[in-house]
Amino acid sequence: MKNIFALLIAATIIVTGCNKSSDAGAPSSGSSKGKKVTIALMPKSKGNAYFISCKNGADKAAKELGVDLVFDGPTDPDPAKQNEIIDNWITLGVDGIAAACENKEGISTALRKAKAKGIKVITYDADALPDAREFFVNQATPQGIGFTLMDEAGRLCNDQGEFAIITASLTAANMIEWQKYIEQRRAEKYPNMKMVALRPCDDLKDKAQSEATSLMSANPNLKLIMAICSPAVPGAAEAVKQAGKVGQVKVIGLGLPSENRRYVKEGVTDSVILWKTEDLGYLTIRAAKAVVDGDLKPGATSFNAGPLGTIEIKGDNILLGKPFIFNKDNIDQFNF
Amino acid sequence: MKNFLRSNIAKHETVLLAVVITEWFYFNSVGAHFGSLDNTFDIVRHSVEIGLLALVMTPIILTGGIDLSVGSLLGLCAILFGKLWRDAHFSPMAAGICTLGIGAVAGGLNATLITWLRLPPLIVTLGTYSLFRGLAEAITHGVDTFTKFPDSFLFLGQERFLGMPAQAPIFILVAIFVWLLVHRTTFGRSFRVIGFSPEGARYAGIPVERRIAMVYVLAGIISALAAIIYTARLGQAKADAGTGYELYAITAVVLGGTSIFGGIGTVHGTLLGVAAIAILSNGLVHARQPREVAGMLTGLLLILALCSSVVPKLFARLRARRQTAAPIQAVKTS
Amino acid sequence: MKYFREISVALALLALLIALAIVAPAFYQPQPLLSLATREAPTLIVACGMALVIICRQIDISVASQFAICSVCAGLLASMKLPLVIVLPASICIGAILGSINGVLIAGLGLPSIVVTLATMVTWREALRWQRQGEFVNLPDNVQWFGLSQSAGQWTVIAIAITLLLVLAVCMNRMAAGRFVYAVGSDAEAARLAGIPPQRVTFLTFAFMGALVGLAAMMNVVQSPQVDPKSGTGIELKTIAAVVVGGVAISGGRGNLWGAFAGILLLACISPALTHLHIESYWEKAIQGMIILLAVVADGIRTKRGSA
Repeated sequence: MKNIFALLIAATIIVTGCNKSSDAGAPSSGSSKGKKVTIALMPKSKGNAYFISCKNGADKAAKELGVDLVFDGPTDPDPAKQNEIIDNWITLGVDGIAAACENKEGISTALRKAKAKGIKVITYDADALPDAREFFVNQATPQGIGFTLMDEAGRLCNDQGEFAIITASLTAANMIEWQKYIEQRRAEKYPNMKMVALRPCDDLKDKAQSEATSLMSANPNLKLIMAICSPAVPGAAEAVKQAGKVGQVKVIGLGLPSENRRYVKEGVTDSVILWKTEDLGYLTIRAAKAVVDGDLKPGATSFNAGPLGTIEIKGDNILLGKPFIFNKDNIDQFNF
Repeated sequence: MKNFLRSNIAKHETVLLAVVITEWFYFNSVGAHFGSLDNTFDIVRHSVEIGLLALVMTPIILTGGIDLSVGSLLGLCAILFGKLWRDAHFSPMAAGICTLGIGAVAGGLNATLITWLRLPPLIVTLGTYSLFRGLAEAITHGVDTFTKFPDSFLFLGQERFLGMPAQAPIFILVAIFVWLLVHRTTFGRSFRVIGFSPEGARYAGIPVERRIAMVYVLAGIISALAAIIYTARLGQAKADAGTGYELYAITAVVLGGTSIFGGIGTVHGTLLGVAAIAILSNGLVHARQPREVAGMLTGLLLILALCSSVVPKLFARLRARRQTAAPIQAVKTS
Repeated sequence: MKYFREISVALALLALLIALAIVAPAFYQPQPLLSLATREAPTLIVACGMALVIICRQIDISVASQFAICSVCAGLLASMKLPLVIVLPASICIGAILGSINGVLIAGLGLPSIVVTLATMVTWREALRWQRQGEFVNLPDNVQWFGLSQSAGQWTVIAIAITLLLVLAVCMNRMAAGRFVYAVGSDAEAARLAGIPPQRVTFLTFAFMGALVGLAAMMNVVQSPQVDPKSGTGIELKTIAAVVVGGVAISGGRGNLWGAFAGILLLACISPALTHLHIESYWEKAIQGMIILLAVVADGIRTKRGSA
């Protein structure tokens, strides 16, 4: 008997625990007119500063437009978990879904299902298959990112010497795609440069630091480290600094200005490439709302995004603009 | 009747059933669409792979063992299935059967190391946990993704069959099979005996090595089956499939009342454990709670479940100690 | 041969180092080696604790979550401009508290350690993620390397880790407390009859493990000017593997810290060795798995021969 009491108490604790913190129930299914639009925003994974920054922008747009914003995603990047949450949102009856896809094919099955149920689907950050969504808010194409990184590397090294890449994991789909374009650009424009190694850092700053340290000692002629996941940029920079090779080995990468400001100012990291993440989140919610309201239809060539001005649409890609290069001169202007 | 009630009500499974029902009613009252048939089927669909792993983990833990490699094996089998289908041009059916065979071989590797060399299962499967995942990454270089499977195959993971998710009948069949194996055959009894005391089992004439090998090979085969269903549900196979699933499976089994030391536990308990976790993680989305809360509550639920099974025993032990202590004192004073 | 396992791991390490000396002599540069040793010092500290826990016939898979919580708390305290003499004990205390929670559940209630620490691992990890949302903690300038120069800081970190290893190794062999852990690990009932309180020993082992994690987290925090809230991810598997490869029996009561030390050195060398040998990184996990299996299989075959 004690047994059952203990567990019933457990259950009540859980139940009351949820009750207190649940701010809103499911979207009201009652009145259809003047109903608050619910838009669900999915990051690749929770607990990632990049997506938190996107969410800040999204929150701003949601407040301005009176949208009920749901923000959730898997705790670790996992395509299967992304599908589960999308399925949940379908039954929850949200009006629009905006997803950053960990994996193209994996998530598209769930997104198609949402589309079939009349939910408006757009993607941002990383695209799904084109038939699974209406629009893709394109902050930068994989091609744009890959080419920009390689151009920056080529510029810093004068098309000479060896470089190495630190990635998040060997299976991260978008990074695999960037690497493809980096290699393509290298072969076309910088044939004198050589990629000597590709190492994963499991999305951990500390591991990136260890990897960068051994990369430098294993490849004495290394000229540049390209860190293509955000925790790897400060990790690689710290390694270069500790090895006393500032200036000798350059660091570039994709990352948030806030995490890299220190190293960029010290001259360890030469440039950090990123788009304005808050604008990305802001634009995504604006676009999702417009698609839900029917103001933005396939075939449109431009889109009025309020304070962001008129945004160009190419095909079904809503273009945020080119990737932005943060360096010593401009990094202080940005605080995300 | 009274006896029946008393003997069943204190059982862990009954308590867990109460938790599952409480969860269900709570989330149903919070989320307007939680109780719908669609959502119920979603919960089933999403928990089939972990459910399968938890089912085969049950006999393993009953024998006092553990298998940390099932998640990695799921990843390895998924990409080998993709490779057989795409590169060796097998039909999905043939590729599936071969994958089950590969799963059996991989489970056999665990079994051999554990029984032949009498190594601790925790360590052996910790090694194969890295090995299987590593092989999956090495074969695909981490990059290769298998997609564009034919619709006839994707049916298995995405469509409905007999009005329920197509993978549900398979899961039910496996569940019945494992339940019969554990609860209605001498094999099941021998698993428990081995869990209580391997030496005792040996003296009792149970072929301990063969029985232990059997559960690990079974785990290999079912992991491969889970890999096929996973591939069909997502429509893709990649080297990172099933990362961390071993911990979900173990959590479900232990939550279901199986003792990690072996010897005690039931298959229906495991099924309830899977349901409790699946409903929690699904329901919290309907309650508009962030994903992290689901993880935290699963952890807390696990601790509370463990405590609830131990607290009565603790009281009983205290009482027993008091009772045995009293006569001794009496003897001393006289 | 009493120290067969320790010696064979040391020989494997030696073979790897010799192979590196021939094929990739660039591995032996003082500065990168010093960096490598500093990076692995926190892991060594955790491995010492893990060895104790496993000798006590328990296991702790929640160390990574404890490590992350201690790191972030220490980082937040340091960014409030508190001096290190306060932050360091605070971090150790937080670790000890987290370890004590495990200890109470395991020793006090007699729950299985693998399940309890599985539950606390998930709970702490998700709680931290929920609270911090993955945000880095920026530290003030004087925290890195304890405010010393870089090489002085690196040597301090290594010295702390090595001193701890030496002290613990001696304690485990020579002091009553150390022998108690072995006694409880090999047979709790026999230990109880011999007058050793098994519950108290188990509880203290977990609390001590937590304190060591707090120390290790601090040793990691001082190595860079930012704290990653995911610090320590995977450290539980790495230390368990190292300890087991180093000959500590998972069934308790057997093994020593020197073996754990050799195990950590071996596993720590694999990843840089692969970089130096220019082996593609997708082989790394498979090779790690092979090494763990080889170590236990070698031992298994030896005992099988011995008993036959």
